[in-house]
Amino acid sequence: MTARTHTSPVAATTGRLLRRLVAYGSLALFGLLVAVPLVYFLVTSFKPMEEYLTYPPRFFPTRWRPENYEAAVTMFPYFRYAGHSLFLGLSNTILTVATSAMAGFAFARINVRARDKLFTIIIAMLIVPGIVVQIPQFIIFARLKLTGTWWPWILWGLAASPFFVFMFRQFFAGFPRELEDAAEIDGCGPFRTFWAVFIPNAKPVIATAFILNFAGVWGDYVNPFLFLKDANTTLAVKLQIGYLSPHGELLTTIVLAGAMLYVLPLVIAFFLGQRHILEGVVTSGLKG
Amino acid sequence: MANNQQAEGQRGARWRKSARGRKSARARRRTISFYLFIAPWLLGFVLLSVVPLCIGFFTSLTNYDGFDPADSKFVGLDNYTRAFSDDRMFLSLSRTLLWAAINTPLWLVVTFCMALVLNQKGIKGRGFLRTLYYVPSIVPIVGVVWIWKIILDNNFGLLNAIISIFRPGTAIPFMSQYALQSLSVIALWTGLGSGMVIFLAGLQDIPEELIEAAQIDGANALQLFRHVTLPIMTPIIFFQLVLGLISAFQQLVLPMLLAPGQEAGGWNPPRGSYLYMIHAYRQLFIYQRYGYSTALLWLLFIVIMALTLMVFRTARYWVFYEVEIEGGGQP
Repeated sequence: MTARTHTSPVAATTGRLLRRLVAYGSLALFGLLVAVPLVYFLVTSFKPMEEYLTYPPRFFPTRWRPENYEAAVTMFPYFRYAGHSLFLGLSNTILTVATSAMAGFAFARINVRARDKLFTIIIAMLIVPGIVVQIPQFIIFARLKLTGTWWPWILWGLAASPFFVFMFRQFFAGFPRELEDAAEIDGCGPFRTFWAVFIPNAKPVIATAFILNFAGVWGDYVNPFLFLKDANTTLAVKLQIGYLSPHGELLTTIVLAGAMLYVLPLVIAFFLGQRHILEGVVTSGLKG
Repeated sequence: MANNQQAEGQRGARWRKSARGRKSARARRRTISFYLFIAPWLLGFVLLSVVPLCIGFFTSLTNYDGFDPADSKFVGLDNYTRAFSDDRMFLSLSRTLLWAAINTPLWLVVTFCMALVLNQKGIKGRGFLRTLYYVPSIVPIVGVVWIWKIILDNNFGLLNAIISIFRPGTAIPFMSQYALQSLSVIALWTGLGSGMVIFLAGLQDIPEELIEAAQIDGANALQLFRHVTLPIMTPIIFFQLVLGLISAFQQLVLPMLLAPGQEAGGWNPPRGSYLYMIHAYRQLFIYQRYGYSTALLWLLFIVIMALTLMVFRTARYWVFYEVEIEGGGQP
C-alpha cells in the first residue's frame, strides 16, 4: 500500500498492464499446448496415408480425405464394437450409480451405530491402491470362467464405487432435516423417502456420476484388454489392432479417424454437462 | 384412592414400556433398512475386494501357474525373496521411483500455477479456459496416446518437424530413447485439467476478507502469496500430492500403450519406461508366474503404503489445518 503511494500513477498502470500481459500470455500458451495436439489429431485424421508418411510432415493436409472415416467404420465392424463399449458403459454405470446412491443415502441419513466405522472403509478404499485387487480378481474370474464375458462389468456395477458413494453421501448430507420429517409424517418408509424425495432432488449429482462413470468405462483400456476376448472386447482395445493393411502395416491416419469417432461422443457430452461435471469433480476431489 | 393410584402407576408403566418397545422396534427397522441400503456395496466390498486380497496373498505363497490349483505347491516366502534377486525388478522399481519423482511435482507445480493465473482478478474468459484446459482429461487414454504418437514419432512426428526447421534432418526417437520423458509429457497433458480444477476451486474458496485484511496490512503480492494463499492451500496440495504419488506408482496403461508392438499386447516397453507394474503384470500374462506376480504386487502395495504414511507424517510440518476451510481438511 505504502509502496504504491510513492510510485506515480503511470508506473502503477504500466505495472498492472504488464502483469495482465504476462497473465494472458501464459494462459494463451497453456491454451495452445492443450489445443494444438487436439487440432493436429483432427486434421491428421483427414490426411491421405502417403501424405502422413512424408518427411518432414506438414501440419494441414494438402488433400483432405474424408474417406478415412469411411474406412475406419468398415475395416472391422466398428459399430458392433462401439455397441460393446456402449453396453458395458451403460449397464455398469446404471448399476454403479444406483448402488452408490443407495449406500450414499444410508451413510448420510440413517444413523446406526456401525455407520462411522463402515464409512472409514469407504474412505480407506479411496486411498488403498487398486492394483492388489485387479490380478486376484482376474484369477478368480478366470476360475469361475467369467473372463471373456461381460459379467465382471455387471458385478463391478453391483458392488458400487467408493468414489461415488462418497460423492452421494456428501450431497445427501446437505439436505434439510424437515424434508425427511415431512416424508415420515406422510407415512413414507426409508425406501419411499429415498426414492420419492431424495432421488428427484439429486439430478445434478446423478448426472455427474453417470457421465464420469460412463467416461471411465468407455475410456478404459486395461480391463477389457485383460478380461475380454477379441470377439467381445471394446472399441478401446479394437482400435489398437483393427487397422492393418493387407501387408500388416498400421494405417495410422485411419486409426486416427476411428479414434476421433471414439473420442468425440465423450467430448460432446462433456461440453453439454461441463458445469455440473466440473463441480462434481471438485466436490468429490476436494472433500476427500 | 390408593388402589386407583396403583392402577394409574401400572398404566403409566405399561405405557412407558410399550413406548420403549416401539422405539426399539423402530431402531431395529432403521438398522435393517441401513444394511439393506448398503448391502450391494458391502457384499461387493467383501466379495470383490476382501476375498481377492486374501486369495491374492495366498497365491503369492504358491507357485500357481493358472491351470489347476491342485497342481500348485506352497512355497512360503520364496516369491518374495526371489524379487530381491531379480535385476529387472530393481530396474523397474528405479524407473518407477524416478517417474513418480519427476511426474508428481511437475504436475503439482504446473497445475497450481495455472490455477493461480486463472484465478487473478478480472481475467476474462475464465469459464471458457477452464473448460478448454479440462478437455484433455476427458479424452480416453487410447485417444491421448494416439495424439502423442503422431507428435512424438521419430520420422513423421510434428515435434521433429518443428525442430528440423532449425536443425534440418532431425529425427529424434522420443518414444524409445526418451521414453520416460515422453510419458511425463503425456501424463502432464492429460492431468492438466483435473489438477487445475481442484486448485482453482480451492483458491476461489479463500475468503475475500482474508485477502483484503492482508492488503490493508501492507502485504504486497508476493507476501500475500507466501503468507496467505499458500498456507491456506496446503491441505489441498497435500491431498493432491498423496493422490498423485499413489497413481504414479500404479501407472500401467501409458507405458503399455506407448510400447511398440500393440498386437503382442504392449508388454515390451523400452527400458526407459519399463515401470514396476509392467514388470509385475508381465510375470502373469507372459510367463504365467501367478505366485511371483502377486508377490510383486504385494511388495508394491507395501512400498506405496509406507510412502503414503511417510508423506502423512511430514504433513504436520507444512500442512496448515488451523485455517480449516470448507473443502480442505484431512482426507
